[in-house]
Amino acid sequence: MKRRSFLKGTLATGAAAVAVNASLLTPSTVLADWNKKAFNAKAPEDALNAAFGMSNATASSDIDLGAPAIAENGAVTPIKVDATKMAGVESIAILASKNPFPFVCEYSFSGPALGYVSTRIKMGETQNVVAIVKAGGKLYKAEQEVKVTIGGCGG
Amino acid sequence: MSIKIRMRGKVKGDVAEVKALIKHKMESGARMNKKTGKPYPAEFIDVVDVSINGTKAVDAQWSGAVSANPYMGVMMKAAKGDEVTLSLKDNTGATGSQTIKLR
Repeated sequence: MKRRSFLKGTLATGAAAVAVNASLLTPSTVLADWNKKAFNAKAPEDALNAAFGMSNATASSDIDLGAPAIAENGAVTPIKVDATKMAGVESIAILASKNPFPFVCEYSFSGPALGYVSTRIKMGETQNVVAIVKAGGKLYKAEQEVKVTIGGCGG
Repeated sequence: MSIKIRMRGKVKGDVAEVKALIKHKMESGARMNKKTGKPYPAEFIDVVDVSINGTKAVDAQWSGAVSANPYMGVMMKAAKGDEVTLSLKDNTGATGSQTIKLR
């Protein structure tokens, strides 16, 4: 990984390359690696295993999953996951169970961040939206069905 | 080419909600071009980082299933005048970054 960012650095021009090389020792400026395995998984369980190393999540009422009951346009489905009631939230993932690639996005939190995310996702068909919250080393989930009248994937 | 980001952050009590609207087509790679019969090549934002006063707060990974022109809202402990920076990149290597002062 370090070699990759080094090569990227040398490809950039002049002063920028020097800056990137100098920042190798302080990796905070280098963006994290993309979890290819989780995003390419075709089953929700495989995606969870790849992302968190486990797939059994306990249903929790402390997660406030805000999703529309009917999404008129599946390409833009507003989703809100509020886990601020839970302690020690490490990350939140959003899965669309029947999408070709169910793992939609993952947010990890550190320092001053609270366990809250709002975003908009694409949904191919009527299906369950699953919010996975990792807190204290365990997985919790909340599920809600969203009816999609116009699909948002492919077409 | 840098990616355009519009950002706003407001402090309520000791918590700030930071909202960002990003201009990006978020092509998943599955959509077909009906004329050629080939899929449009994937082009989507895959990594997003949010930091406050230089401290990392949120580190997000996206797939092509996040909507086009993505909206993102996150919350963090903050005070007025804190500087929030959002930086991101897409799978083709394009990057974008925006810094705002919380109000």
